[in-house]
Amino acid sequence: MNNFIRFLERFHFVILFVVLFAISVTMYLNTTYYQKSQVGRLTKGVSGVIAGQFSNIGQYMNLKRVNIELTQENVALRNELERMRVIIEEVEHTPRLDSLSGAKYWYFPARVVNNMVNRRHNFITLNLGASNGVMPGMGVVCGKGIAGVVSSVSQNFCTVISVLNIDLKVSAKHSKSGIFGSLSWDGVNYREVVLRDIPLHVDVAVGDTIVTSGFSAKFPRDIPLGVISDFHNKDGNFYTIRVRLFADFKRLDYVYLVKSYEGPEINKIEITTHD
Amino acid sequence: MIKELPRYLLLFVVLMLLQISVLNNINLSGYINPYIYILFILLLPFSMPGWLLLIVGFFTGFVVDYFTNTLGLHTSATLLLAFVRPTILSWMSYRDDLDRFDSPGIGSSGMEWFVRYAVVAVLVHHFALFCFESFSFYHFHITLLRILLSSIFTLFFIVMIELLRSGRK
Repeated sequence: MNNFIRFLERFHFVILFVVLFAISVTMYLNTTYYQKSQVGRLTKGVSGVIAGQFSNIGQYMNLKRVNIELTQENVALRNELERMRVIIEEVEHTPRLDSLSGAKYWYFPARVVNNMVNRRHNFITLNLGASNGVMPGMGVVCGKGIAGVVSSVSQNFCTVISVLNIDLKVSAKHSKSGIFGSLSWDGVNYREVVLRDIPLHVDVAVGDTIVTSGFSAKFPRDIPLGVISDFHNKDGNFYTIRVRLFADFKRLDYVYLVKSYEGPEINKIEITTHD
Repeated sequence: MIKELPRYLLLFVVLMLLQISVLNNINLSGYINPYIYILFILLLPFSMPGWLLLIVGFFTGFVVDYFTNTLGLHTSATLLLAFVRPTILSWMSYRDDLDRFDSPGIGSSGMEWFVRYAVVAVLVHHFALFCFESFSFYHFHITLLRILLSSIFTLFFIVMIELLRSGRK
């Protein structure tokens, strides 16, 4: 009898372990990276606020560097503004041929509340949410490239699938030839991503610039992302190109959310065509 | 055990805050992620019933998962650690004077014993965690490197915290 009770005790332990383990593994396997970021959606406000407090501390220490970066970006934008002013004057003096004018994209700034680079599925949390007009699927760019795509939105925060997430694929272009391929992270080095599907006839070289293609309408076209650091064609018909990113994801402070005015329309017509 | 409850709650909160606010944000060369929260599982009393051990393990992992956006990952690994803890303890406890103490720790069971216990436990946890995370054997040498380097750092931090705890008493 004593033995039996002891056996039962052991048995309970194992049964409980198997049940709990099954629950947790199912939880892990059944949730895609997208759903994972959806799970805490309702309560994301809470953890967002906590993370926000911690990032406030780090923010002060980075102020000097952030200022320098913002100034550089301002200078670049000012220069571009001057160039545009000339073009606008030219355009205004010629008769208007069509009414298709106005910007295709609208940017608004956001602050990084939480950011990670050391996992294989990395996410960024930003301090803007549904109340600021953020919607899932919007692109996020930073001063030196793109940062990711918004995955889920709560009232005041949103999570972004980082470029450093092995499940995110972005369409990118070899700037010299204009041939596009698929850009993704292999989970190894946070400064490097991999560009695939560039055919062998394209003349690629180390140091060539890779830019966004603009196909997905999430990101404007021709944003510089990085330069080719290495490439090989061991996989057959296509090059596997390693791209060194301009952006340092460990130092992400301020980013821009991209609202595309054409995106919804493009998505709609593409969905109807695929059906 | 009831009177020990506030002490364990405090330990839990301190370890979680350290883990979430500090250690989750350091990342040396992408290979080293110390996970010190498992110290909580290591320090639970010897007399704790198995079922409670499993539930505490599950809950601890779940809290970490919630804050790192990795639902199920830390839960599975920490649950596994809670499951094998009695086995590890039964290997280690050949010292009969250990019966005099309530829970493991440098202060009670001595430095050498504790380090051996922690090495096995940390390796079990980190092996499960990093294998689950990469979920393939494609880059296994990288996963192995991450396990080893992270384990060393986790151990370092755990022993440091334990020394502080035992010194204060």
